[in-house]
Amino acid sequence: MKELKILLVIVVIVGITYWGIEPLAHSIMHKHIEEAIEKYNLPDYKFSDLGPAPAISGDAAQGKKNFQMFCASCHGLKADGIPAPMDPKTAAASFGVVPPDLSNVASFTAENFLYHFIKDPARASEFKKISMPAMGLDDKQIMDIIAYLKSTAKKIHGAELFKEACGRCHGAKYQKIYADTPADALKKYLGKVPPDLSIIMKAKGEHYLVAFINKPQALLPGTSMPRVGLNEEATEDLMKYLDEISDPHKEQRKKVGLIVLAYMLVMIGLTYAWKKKIWRNIH
Amino acid sequence: MGNKLIKWLDERLAITTLWRVLMAEYYLPKNINWLWSSGVLTILVFVILVVSGIFVLMYYKPDAKLAFDSVNKTIMMDVSFGWVFRHVHAVGASIMFLVLFIHMGRGIYYGSYKAPREILWVTGFILFVLMSATAFTGYLLPWGQMSYWAAQTITTLFSKIPVIGPDLVIWIRGNYIVEDATLTRFFALHVTLLPALIVVFTVIHLYALRIVGSNNEDGIPMTKEEKKEKGIPFWPVFISKEFFVMSVFLFFFFYLVFFNYKFAMDPINFEPANYLQTPPHIYPEWYFLSFYEVLRGFFFSETLGLIGFVLSMVIPLFLPWLDTSPYPFISAKHRPLFRIAFWVFVADFVALTILGKLPPTGLFAWLGFIASLVYFGFFLALPIISKIEKKQAASGGVR
Repeated sequence: MKELKILLVIVVIVGITYWGIEPLAHSIMHKHIEEAIEKYNLPDYKFSDLGPAPAISGDAAQGKKNFQMFCASCHGLKADGIPAPMDPKTAAASFGVVPPDLSNVASFTAENFLYHFIKDPARASEFKKISMPAMGLDDKQIMDIIAYLKSTAKKIHGAELFKEACGRCHGAKYQKIYADTPADALKKYLGKVPPDLSIIMKAKGEHYLVAFINKPQALLPGTSMPRVGLNEEATEDLMKYLDEISDPHKEQRKKVGLIVLAYMLVMIGLTYAWKKKIWRNIH
Repeated sequence: MGNKLIKWLDERLAITTLWRVLMAEYYLPKNINWLWSSGVLTILVFVILVVSGIFVLMYYKPDAKLAFDSVNKTIMMDVSFGWVFRHVHAVGASIMFLVLFIHMGRGIYYGSYKAPREILWVTGFILFVLMSATAFTGYLLPWGQMSYWAAQTITTLFSKIPVIGPDLVIWIRGNYIVEDATLTRFFALHVTLLPALIVVFTVIHLYALRIVGSNNEDGIPMTKEEKKEKGIPFWPVFISKEFFVMSVFLFFFFYLVFFNYKFAMDPINFEPANYLQTPPHIYPEWYFLSFYEVLRGFFFSETLGLIGFVLSMVIPLFLPWLDTSPYPFISAKHRPLFRIAFWVFVADFVALTILGKLPPTGLFAWLGFIASLVYFGFFLALPIISKIEKKQAASGGVR
C-alpha cells in the first residue's frame, strides 16, 4: 500500500510537469495560430473573403480558344496537346518560377478561387510579388477558360498531386522529388528557398498544415507562400500523402509496439511471481 | 563442467568472493521502498542508451551536410527497425533524467547525502552533470532547428565570462557560429569521453555504496552486522523486487517509445538546422528547463542570470555541508521542518520546469524570478533548519 502511495505521488508530480511542458506550453506558444484559425474559420474551402464565382456557365470550346490566346504564352496543357512554351530553366529565369501545366489544375483547385485567381492573381493568392499578372479578362472569358480546364482535368492523388500542386517550388527529396524551379531562381523570387516537404508533417502537424495551405498569410504574415486554393478533397489527399512519406513505418510501429507491451506484461507477471516467492518468508 | 570452470576462474579471479561481496552478502535494510530501486533503473537506462546508441552510431554521419538526413532518412526510414533504435535512444535520454530526478529526490528526502554518504552524493552529482553534458552534446547531433539553436544559445553563455569569454566561445565551437566543427567535436565527446567518464564514476559510486551501504526510510544508522542480522541480501531478495520494478518501468518506457514519443522528439527538430532563421521559441529539453528558467529570469539581468544558472547547477553538490543535523534528523520522515522545505522545493522545481518553457514575459517572468529565489531559498534554509534541529537534539526532546 505504501509503495502504491509513493507511486501515486510520483505519477501526480510527473503528470503535472508533463501537462505544463506539453499541452499548456504549446497552447500558450501557439496561441496566435489558434487565434488566426478561429478568426478566419480555417480551413475555409469556400474562400469566403473572395466571394463566389459569377453564375455564368462557361463554354469549353470557347475556353480553349481563350486559353490559347491568353494563357498559352506561359502555360502548357499537356492533356490537350499544348506543350509548355519554354523549357523549365528558361521559364524559371524569366518568371522566377516555372509556370504550371494546367492540365489538372481544375481538379484540385476550388472553382471560385480559380475564377478570382485568373481575375487578380495577387489578390487571390495574397502574394503581391506573384509573377502572373492580372490579364484583364471579363467574367465570361474567365468562366469559359474554367469550363475548358474542367474538361481536361482528371483526378490525381498522392505523389502526382504533390508534384502538380506543390512541386514547382517544393521538393520531397526523401521521395526523390525535386522542385521544378531551380533553387537559386526561387531564392530570387521568394526571398528564400522553400522548405523540403519530406517530413514536414512531423515538423508541423496536419492541423497547422491544413490551415496554413488554406490561408498562409493568416498563420505566417509576410510569408512568400501564396494561397493556392486547394479544394477540400485535394487537401485531404495531400495530407494523407505527406503523412505517409513522413512516417512510413506507422503500421509497423503500432504492431511491434503492441507485441513489446504484451511481452512486458508477461514479464511483469513473471517477475511479480518470483518476487512473491522469494519474499514469502521475509517480514 | 560448470563447477570446474567456476573453480578454475575462482582460483584466478576470486569470482565467488567478488559475488559474495557485491551481491549475495551485500545486505540492505528492510525498511526501504521501491524508490531504492531507482539506482539500478539508471543503470538499466544507461545500458539501453549505450546499446541503442551503438546501433544508431552505425548509420549516423557526423557532418553538418549529412547529419540531418542520416538521422531522419537513413535511420528513420531505410534501415530496418532503425526507427526503433532512434526512438529508444531519444526517449531513453529523456527518461534517464526522470529516473535521475527520482533517484536524487529520494536521496534528498531520506537524507541519503548525509554523513557518512557524502562521497555517494558527490559522485552521484558528478554523474548528473556528466549525464547533462552527454544529453546536451547528443541533442546537437540530429542537426535540427532546435538542436542548432539550443547549442547556439547555451554556447553563447560562455561569452559572458569575463576576459576570456569571447575567445572561449570560439574555442568551444571551433568557429564563430555553431557549425560543422561544433557538430564533430560534440559528436566526439558524446560517443567517447563522456560515456567513459560516466562508467568510471558509476563504478566509484557503486564502490562507495558497498562501503557505506544503503540508507533507509528512517535514516537509522546501521552497521554491516546489524544489516546482516535484520536486513535482506541484495541477491536474490532485493533483486527479485528490483526485477519487478524494472518490468513495470520498461512497460511504461516502451509505451512511450512506441506510442507517445513526441515529448522527447520536438516537432521543430524535424526541420533542418538553419543559421539564418531563429525559431520563435527556443527552449532546451524538459530536464534543463528549470535551470534555464533561472538563467533567463534571475533578477531580470543577463549577467546575474548566468551566475544564478551556474549556482543553481552547482549548489546541490554542497547539500551534505549545508545540512549537517545529526541522527535522528536524517530522513524527512522525522524532520517536520525539513519535510515542509522539501515539498516546497519539489513544487518549486516543477514550477521552474514549466515556466522554463513558457515565454518569459509579463506574469511568467515574475513567477520565474520568484521561483528562482525559492529554489535558492531551499538550500539557504538548510543550515537554519540544521541549527534548530541540533538544538532539539541537544535538549534531548526528540520523537
